[in-house]
Amino acid sequence: MANEGRIGKVDSMKFEHVTFSHEGQSPLLQNADFEFPMNEVVWVKGTEGHGKSTLLQILAGLLVPQSGFFYVNDQNVLEMSFEEFLPYRLAIGYTFDYGGLISNRTVYDNLMLPLAYHKIIPMNEAKARVEGIIKTFEIEKFAHERPAHIPGRVRKLACLLRALVMEPQVLVMDDPSVGLGQDTLYTFVDYIHKMRGEGHLKHIFMSSYDEKYMSLFNYQVIHLDDGQIYQQAVDHEKKVVHL
Amino acid sequence: MGSLWAEIDARVCALGQFVTKNIEYTLRVLLMVYLSMRAAVLDQAQGFRTIVSVISAQIYFTGWQALPLVSVMALATGSVVVLQSMANLSLLGGTQMIGNFLIVIIVREAGPLLVALVVIARSGTAVASEIGNMRANREIEALESMGINPLSFIVFPRVLGGVISVVCLAFYFNILSLIGGFFITKFLQDMPFSFYLDSLMRGFAKEDVFIFFAKNSFSGMIIFVVSCYQGLSVKKSPHEVPQVTTQAVVNSVIYVIVFNLTVTTLFYLNQLQNLGVV
Repeated sequence: MANEGRIGKVDSMKFEHVTFSHEGQSPLLQNADFEFPMNEVVWVKGTEGHGKSTLLQILAGLLVPQSGFFYVNDQNVLEMSFEEFLPYRLAIGYTFDYGGLISNRTVYDNLMLPLAYHKIIPMNEAKARVEGIIKTFEIEKFAHERPAHIPGRVRKLACLLRALVMEPQVLVMDDPSVGLGQDTLYTFVDYIHKMRGEGHLKHIFMSSYDEKYMSLFNYQVIHLDDGQIYQQAVDHEKKVVHL
Repeated sequence: MGSLWAEIDARVCALGQFVTKNIEYTLRVLLMVYLSMRAAVLDQAQGFRTIVSVISAQIYFTGWQALPLVSVMALATGSVVVLQSMANLSLLGGTQMIGNFLIVIIVREAGPLLVALVVIARSGTAVASEIGNMRANREIEALESMGINPLSFIVFPRVLGGVISVVCLAFYFNILSLIGGFFITKFLQDMPFSFYLDSLMRGFAKEDVFIFFAKNSFSGMIIFVVSCYQGLSVKKSPHEVPQVTTQAVVNSVIYVIVFNLTVTTLFYLNQLQNLGVV
């Protein structure tokens, strides 16, 4: 039985007075107010260790700030329980910069897990979707291997693809291009553009140090500095960021 | 004099901190029990098949694979206790009391404790290190990002599977040590089996059923909840995994012993009260 109605719709994301610090460290976000640009590919930039990954994890609902409000469609999701936040979580795909694959499941089972668990679509459709993705990225050889037995490139790719199988509205990616290899990277970017063309992945947030990879998107830039988030103007003609 | 008071003050402070830390730990573990049960009830997506597959895997690893070790321990314990009881009760002229004696020693005390120690050593360590590694490898975060609550997907089935395994292992331990112990020592004693069995049946009371389930089910719960809690307490680094595994063993042993001691004390206080002694 399909449960597509359980997925929430994300129209806006906004921080109000958000403060976050890891235990025993100085705050990465300090009373930050910011309304995130929607229907865009957003490049999250900042100096190393200034909280890009943390910001992405807060957006994905994986970290809870110490204070402030995080509004999704004007609802403060920080007050929600796991079950209350679930409809939004199902609309947000998140990919890790490293790790994250379930080690006792094969690549195929990892990709099937969110679809089989939430039964968003019928099982035969879910299998067809996952098999299609595996074929597109030519990783059939590794589909029935566990993460420890596959090359790092395929591990990284499988982690990225697992976020895509749910065809989410929001895609949050932490350094997606690292360790992917050029051919796979182009296939991946093409796949993202294809999905966006089909009406999925409306809002993409990603951090990256790879300008070549980012030049494959029409992006907006947000910058993290001194615990605050700023939006920067981008000249799409030149793909150059103006400070 | 002043330094003596300072010394006493420091020791009282340290004791206070120790007690507070342990109470806080116990409350956190209890909170996890509540949250995992709540998550399992509220999780609409987690199908019956998903949860049953994890529970059956846990029963296989904790219960089925522990059978050889539990068998050896049950036969060894049973033989020693049967032989010693027969020898000493014969000297005292109370051979007909052997059933009561064995029920008290094996079913009420030794069985729950030994089975719990086997399960802590085999499965408590495995669960703590498995979940600790999942945490370090960001698998727990990955589950959350997919909308899968780790408390209902990871913790609840392991605790339930663990409780079922411990109760079944304890039942197996009791039967094997009482019956197997008798037959192993048969060449050293000449008690008829029918007399032995009759004595056991007379020694068995309905309170023993209560004690059996109370001690074994709660011991199972303590072991797996503490192990899961310790596993989930890994922050980020794999080097924390052996530390939390050791801590899981230490805490499980302490909690299980304290719990068994408490049940035994309450049971005998109740018996004394019924007899009008206290």
